This record gives sequence, C-alpha cells and structure tokens, in this order.
Amino acid sequence: MAAAAMAHANLVPKLYKSIIDDVIEGVRELFAEEGVEEQVLKDLKQLWETKVVQSKATEGFFRHSHHSPQFTLQLPHSFHRVLQASAASLVIPTGRGFQHFTAADLGASRVGGTLTLPSGVACPIHVPAGVTLQTASGHLYKVNVPVMVTQATGDASILHHPVQQIFQPLGQPSVLQASIASVAQVNASSAQAAAETLQPQETAVQHTVVFQPDVMEKNHLEKSANSTLVQQPSVSQQQLATNAVLNQRADSTEKPQHGNLHTAVFTPESSEGFSHAESLPNNSSSVLLDVEGQLDIEPQESAQQQVSDDIIDLIIMGERFDDNAVLKDQDSIASADKMEPTEQMESNLRSEKAVCSDIEGIIQLDGTGDVSPKEEMPRIKNREENEFIGIIESEDLKVLEDEEDDEECDSISDMESSSSGGDNEEPQTDIVEEDPLNSGDDVSEQDTADLFDTDNVIVCQYDKIHRSKNKWKFYLKDGVMSFEGKDYVFAKAIGDAEW
Amino acid sequence: MAYQLYRNTTLGNSLQESLDELIQSQQITPQLALQVLLQFDKAINSALAQRVRNRVNFRGSLNTYRFCDNVWTFVLNDIEFREVTELVKVDKVKIVACDGKNTGSNTAE
Repeated sequence: MAAAAMAHANLVPKLYKSIIDDVIEGVRELFAEEGVEEQVLKDLKQLWETKVVQSKATEGFFRHSHHSPQFTLQLPHSFHRVLQASAASLVIPTGRGFQHFTAADLGASRVGGTLTLPSGVACPIHVPAGVTLQTASGHLYKVNVPVMVTQATGDASILHHPVQQIFQPLGQPSVLQASIASVAQVNASSAQAAAETLQPQETAVQHTVVFQPDVMEKNHLEKSANSTLVQQPSVSQQQLATNAVLNQRADSTEKPQHGNLHTAVFTPESSEGFSHAESLPNNSSSVLLDVEGQLDIEPQESAQQQVSDDIIDLIIMGERFDDNAVLKDQDSIASADKMEPTEQMESNLRSEKAVCSDIEGIIQLDGTGDVSPKEEMPRIKNREENEFIGIIESEDLKVLEDEEDDEECDSISDMESSSSGGDNEEPQTDIVEEDPLNSGDDVSEQDTADLFDTDNVIVCQYDKIHRSKNKWKFYLKDGVMSFEGKDYVFAKAIGDAEW
Repeated sequence: MAYQLYRNTTLGNSLQESLDELIQSQQITPQLALQVLLQFDKAINSALAQRVRNRVNFRGSLNTYRFCDNVWTFVLNDIEFREVTELVKVDKVKIVACDGKNTGSNTAE
C-alpha cells in the first residue's frame, strides 16, 4: 500500500521529466533548423524544469535543483559613452570577490550585448547609468541613474524593482547624458520604499523637471505623452478659428490662386501632426502674406462655403469660441469689398443663429413612450413647436434650463443628448420604485465568473457523460489534476455527482 | 493534431512561461515557440495515453455543467477523489474535458 502510494507520488515527477525530455528532443531538430543555438535549448529546459519545481506541483522532481536567477544586462549603443561621462565602473560581485568590469571590457559588446550575471548572486550590484537591465522574466529597465541593486534573496525577482523605466522613443537623450550620478540603493525586499527613496533623490538631479514626470512605470510616460498630445487639438482648433477668420479676409480681397490658400490652410487641420499645431500661427501669417495677390475668384465661393461651413461649425460649438467675436469679424468682412459671397455667408450665419435660438427655445422632452432622438430632429426642423411646448412639463423644463444655461447655442447633437438626458430622469423616477420589487429575482452573476475561476482543475478527455434526472455519471480518461498546487494524473476516472 | 487541452497545466504553463522569456530576450522567435508548444501537445497526449495506467474514482455534487463545442466543463463541490491508495478531498473543482473518442484538431483549453 505504502509502496503504491509512493509509486504514484514518484509517478508524476518521472512522467513530467519524461515529457520534458521528449519535448526537448523533439524540438532539437527544429531549433537546429531555425539556427538557434544549442545553449538556448538548454536554457529552455532549465527554465522549464525550474518552474515546474518551483510550482511545487511535484515532489522530489529534481534532487539537484539549480536555482539560477539570471540577470542579463543589455548594453545600449552609447553605453561606453555614458560610462565615460559618469566615470563609473560596473561592479558585479559574485559573492566571493568583486569582479570589476571596466567600460572598456563592456564596450566591446555594444549593440545588444548581454552580460549574464552568475547564479546565486547575493551581493549588491552597482549599475551605472545608461544600462538596460533585463530580468529573467523579460522586463526591460533602463537605468538612467547609477544605482546599487542589492539582492536580499537569490530570486530573479530582484530586478522587478529597478531604478527607472525610461522610454527612449520619447527622445530625451540629453537627459541621459546630463544625469548626475546619484547612487541609490534598491532593496528587493522593500521595493516600494526604494521607489520612494529614489524619487526624493531624483529631485536633487538637475533635470528634475524632466525626471519627475517619468514615474517608475513606462506606461505613465506613454500616458503623459498622450495627455500632452491630447491638449494640442484644442489649441489647434483655436488656431483653426483664427485661420478661418484670416482666410475670410484673404478671400474678400480678390486675388488669384485661392487653391494654394485652401490647401495650405486645411492641411494643418487635417493632419494630426502636433508640430503643426504650434506652427499654425506662423502658417497663418505666412499664408496670409502668400495669399495676398494670389487668390482666384472662381473657386473662391466654393472654398468660402467650405470655410464658412467650418466657421458655422465653430460658431455652433459655442462654448469653445467667442461667438460674438467671430460674428463681429464676419460682419466686418461682410462690409468689405465683396458683397455677394459675404452676404451669402452672413445669411447662412444668421439662419444658423436663428436655428440656434430656435433650438434654445424648443426644449425637447419625450414622454415615457420615447422615440429615438433621430426622429426628433425632423420635428424640430418642421417647426412643430407648439406640439412639444404643450407637452413640456414645468419641472422638466427647469431641469433642462439648468442644464442649458451655460450653453448658448448647442449643436443639434448636444440637444439630443441633453433632451435624452432629461428624458432619462423621467423614467428613472418610475424605475426607482420598482427596483426593490425585482431586486430579489436575479441570481448573483458573480457566481458564474468566480465559479469557473478555481485553482483545482482537471484537464482530461471524456469517454462518456451520462445523466439520469439529476444524477450524473462521468467516464473520463487521460487526465491531469491539480489540487491545491499538487499534481496528479490518471488514465481513467469514473465519477458520480448529483446536480 | 493533438489536443491543446493540456497547455493549461502546471507543465504546460511553465513551458509557455519559459518560452515567453526566451522570446522576450529574443533568443527564439514566436514561431519557434509555437512549434515547441505543438510538440508539447503531442508529447503529453501520447505520454498520458501510454505511460499512465492508474484509475481514479470520485464522488461529489454537481454545481454547474456546460457543453459547448464538444467540450464539457463542470464545476463540482465537495468532491472526494479516491485512488487505490489515497483519498483527496476538495471543496471545489473544475473539470474541462474534450471529446475522447475523436482526437481531431481541437484548440479548446
């Protein structure tokens, strides 16, 4: 009996080992075909076995387990330059003595060179600036500030808490070169504390302004970059308004080659390059200068309409632009040389204003039997206002007025959203009363989500699944079981359960 | 084509993690890693079919059952797994079972 138990306990490790060996042998040829070195295959086997042992899924898997936390230092191109700048040498102790790697030694392996630290390193590691660290798990960390990495345990998790993660593509190489060498100690056991200690030390660095936004995680950098990028469109829109106004003035002067102006003005707005946003004022002024004496009359109207449409859009987006200012400009331009197109524009603008005021007057409200907002639009345009005014209730009117007080002329889409927002309030008041009545009907949905997320899993194949009323019978085969982290296998499994 | 079912086991997951590390360090290509996994599928399927001979019985209560794409998924509660020698009790277990009659290509978990 005991022998059988021990046999089974030994069965799993042996089985796993045999599977690993089979796989490695099977892919040996594949690796050779791909031109991958034998060493990589050995690394794979080593990693695999290490992980299996670490999972404690099997007992007695390996007697001679070699924990090998691996640190690979990938040296960037400018590694030797940075080293010279910071005048630091790479110190990688091995536990017995200190091995000094000078810049010259490491400079030999410039591009993508890796330096694998010996296993079982248990001493502080001094890493100079500009070095990219890579943990065994594959995370890349670039060290901008020379750091001391202390390793409390022999795990490969030490470099999960590196000094900094800086993304190169954001283009701050000057920061690297100008970084002041400040040594910080990072303890693997207290990573967060280390992060906190690092930040105040970074403030001592000259380029604090650049560093501080560079929080530990590279994602933050991306987010900050994105946030700066996002801010640009609002600027570009303002620039667009000035451009449009300037265009009007330019158009009113009868000049040929309006096409140039058209393309020159509208490419900045169509392109999303943010360098354009900053250079827009320059563009507009230069375009204006170029335009004088270059406009065509014929395409002018069509372009003007497009420009006027843009202006109309700008006007409709009332809160972002100063309506009065733009309209005043329009009027002044209307009084300029060319009357026809400007009058046309003016009439367009005035009709739009009228629509805006009409929209303001019509505070749309739907009843509980709501129709889609799209259907409301033709109603607005058909000007069947009296219908709706009768329906409007005073309470909801106040609500909508409160919502719209700050907005002078909403776009139609905004109207729809505000009206539908007002609509939502109505049925909501009814639903609130009903919620307690129906709240008990729903079975908690979390059960299904959490239910299938369990540590104890059996992965197998089924021969037959049988059910009789609520009595289930399972005939399974070739399965691998994992209970509380321990692994078992079976050739056949027969089970009964009641549902 | 063997079932890729066994990739979500201790052995399979550790292999995938190891392969991911090698990919990260660019020592192998993702294509090669996929080939390794396919080889793993073959190896474990044949090993389980040929090298394992033991039988297990179990009894419990069925909480949920699901049959989709010819894959059974059960969640059982308060199960006793009984082998000739040992008894293991678990309060909750999930069973994922592919069709054992036809070992066609199957990418279920």
